[in-house]
Amino acid sequence: MKITSAADLETVRQAGLQKLQPVKPRIAVGLATCGIAVGGSRVYERLREIIKRDGLDIILTKTGCIGYCKEEPLVNITIPNKPLVILHKVTEADAEEIIKLVQKGKVPADKALCRVPSWDHVTGCILEYGKGFTKIPLYGKVPFFKGQQKVILRDAGLINPEDIDEYIAVGGYKAAIKALTGKDSETVIKEVEKSGLRGRGGAGFPTGLKWRITRDAKAEKKYIICNADEGDPGAYMNRNEMESDPHMLIEGMIIGAYAMGAPDGLIYIRAEYPLAIKRLKLAIGQAREYGLLGNNIFGTNFSFDIGIATGAGAFVCGESTALVASIEGRTGRPHPRPPRLTDIGGGLFGYPTDLNNVETWCNVPVIIINGSDWYARIGSKDNTGTKVFSLVGKVDRVGLVEVPLGTTLNTIVSDIGNGGANNKKVKAVQTGGPSGGCIPFRLFDTPMDFENLNKAGSIMGSGGIVVMDEDTDMVDIARFFINFATGESCGKCIPCREGLKHSLLLLNRILAKKGTKKDIETLALLSDTIVATSLCGLGQTAPNPVLTTLAYFREEYDALVKP
Amino acid sequence: MTPGEVSSTDGQKKQVEVRINGKKYPADEGEIILGIAVREKIAIPHLCYEPSLVPYGACRLCMVEVVKRGKRELTTSCTLQAAEGLEVVTDTPEIVKHRSILFELYLAEAPKSDVIKAMAARYGVTKTRFLKKLDTTDSLGNKCILCGLCVRACNEIMGAGAIGFVNRGPYTVVNTPYFEPTKDCYGCGACVKVCPTNAVEMEDAGGMRIMKSWSETKVPLLRCDCCGKYYAPKGLAISILARITPSLKEETAALCPECRGKRIAREEILAGSGGAGNHG
Repeated sequence: MKITSAADLETVRQAGLQKLQPVKPRIAVGLATCGIAVGGSRVYERLREIIKRDGLDIILTKTGCIGYCKEEPLVNITIPNKPLVILHKVTEADAEEIIKLVQKGKVPADKALCRVPSWDHVTGCILEYGKGFTKIPLYGKVPFFKGQQKVILRDAGLINPEDIDEYIAVGGYKAAIKALTGKDSETVIKEVEKSGLRGRGGAGFPTGLKWRITRDAKAEKKYIICNADEGDPGAYMNRNEMESDPHMLIEGMIIGAYAMGAPDGLIYIRAEYPLAIKRLKLAIGQAREYGLLGNNIFGTNFSFDIGIATGAGAFVCGESTALVASIEGRTGRPHPRPPRLTDIGGGLFGYPTDLNNVETWCNVPVIIINGSDWYARIGSKDNTGTKVFSLVGKVDRVGLVEVPLGTTLNTIVSDIGNGGANNKKVKAVQTGGPSGGCIPFRLFDTPMDFENLNKAGSIMGSGGIVVMDEDTDMVDIARFFINFATGESCGKCIPCREGLKHSLLLLNRILAKKGTKKDIETLALLSDTIVATSLCGLGQTAPNPVLTTLAYFREEYDALVKP
Repeated sequence: MTPGEVSSTDGQKKQVEVRINGKKYPADEGEIILGIAVREKIAIPHLCYEPSLVPYGACRLCMVEVVKRGKRELTTSCTLQAAEGLEVVTDTPEIVKHRSILFELYLAEAPKSDVIKAMAARYGVTKTRFLKKLDTTDSLGNKCILCGLCVRACNEIMGAGAIGFVNRGPYTVVNTPYFEPTKDCYGCGACVKVCPTNAVEMEDAGGMRIMKSWSETKVPLLRCDCCGKYYAPKGLAISILARITPSLKEETAALCPECRGKRIAREEILAGSGGAGNHG
């Protein structure tokens, strides 16, 4: 069936609601890569066996990840007219007990993390589940969730990412139909501009402006690309967005393609994300079946389709010009800009191309559905909206945290993350991956926004927050990131190729206690030159971990060297 | 055509004026700043620039300071295009500082290159603080600075694509695929000619041209029917001969340029002295 009107969409929505809130019990196992890694699929298999063995009338399905990595595997139980209950740290051994209780309309209280009486999917759709289970804490009272605001992760861990009907059930594709059938290109771009949305890949370029430049470029053809080459150590928000809610990305791209007049879209995704690739392919196929991708979407004369291009394991291919080279089948090496991707001759196969990060695209549907004013009220000045951070390292509550931009590091690390793991004191965080920098605990009142992070010597990057505690050796941390960047340098320009290598050699010498004060000075000078003279963003930012640890933890360097 | 003039043939380019180190110079709009500097004899060190190739921006030595939207920033002059009122400075203390470090890196990367040593010395750098890379198995004799000129000439000009970059980051080297002799090499020697540090080695021996730096790739040479000298790579000659007029082809195919010159001269003399009859 092809969806060509709001009425068609509503029909599918009702069918989807039947799947999300069926008249019989539903068990959904959190099966994103993270859930699978800690045994989620074994739990799923065991549950499936029992249901089959006993011929039970229970629906078993998959869901993505709600972001609380520490508590996985997570299992959602939906019993008609009762709150949705999220069970945590579930193992195969719990399966029999879970099934036994669910049959009686109950849930294992000792395994319950929280209950969800109703859930706002932020698209104007609030799902009411029901009342009861009052002894189980409310979702909003769980300390990890309390300070969060779910906009991007609104469906993650609640709907089945492999079923388009469930996405439509919670208000999906409403924004696309609203834009394609009720707004012209200019209105859509204005709406995105007014929302203040900035690129979530790290640089924070205004998205609306990039769209405008691409649309206004005079060319017979244009492309839009989604950058899903997420590669920062410790960053996995994009992976979860694609694995848990792939249609959100597709819907964002449809709206963008319409606004910019691009008939072709591509998702450039790293090959190391096989599950995300699988789910995206599945989602694209389902969207085509409903006519949401392909010719004459919603019966309009707008046609658009999405293809998938996989990377071959190079971090530098997240850089725009290297990314395009990689798609075209050339070696993934950056070239000087201009020409930029949006320029004629600079983009994919020479056509003007708009490149946005996964999370940037994911922001688009809510902006269209709720309006730019609504969106601009979230976050802080010039930094609107929410951002998903992956809170990892030596922090107590590891997971994906979504908060309004401008939330302080203290709130994220100390309140939501509950400070250091095993009651250790937190010493610093590294934000923005290998391109970012270390921020010491005394600066934890730094608001997480593009400008303030730059002021602290770090960057937003894609949103990784790696926590270090009192036992962490900061010089070793600097070496870890320099080692990563050295291995990922493409080798085109000398400051990055040779400069990072010599930074690594110097750090090795210092850490082996064979260094001198002069080595530290050389390291600092060399880092400055790499920043100032490298060709692309990789080299220009790679020394940040050295520069920030030198600025904030100089005493740790000094303690390692001979005077 | 002086190096740097992007296109002097069409004559349609808008004329602009740029300032380099405070002095005004006329230029075509869009002309590469480094090209103007070369033409005007303003010293900017560079290793990876070649006017007939697409701007590459890899050696980073030609960094200049440019004022953009009121902000001063560093950029490579080999990728910077002339525009009306553009102002660049080539020797600020900051540029000197970074350039010196880059020279130190080059001295460590290509410790056997006399060209690099001389160039660095001209800019006051005679020693490096960094560990020198000395690899006795390096087919480029520890002289390669990965400017990519050989790879680009082979690809962009010759269309052969016989060599390329192998590995990445500090492990990058230039060679043939899988370090094996390649049939794609014409043996034209453009790589040897274009290398700024004289790192690429080639040798003609016994009817073969040996690309010593490129996994000992061997290219057969064409022999002159007259003097017996080997004078051109066979494959390249055949592909060029296929594109020229048949009458010309015959004599070009058989003779080396020297013998061909002699033959033409002889024929001219004979024609001028009234025929071939009196020649012994």
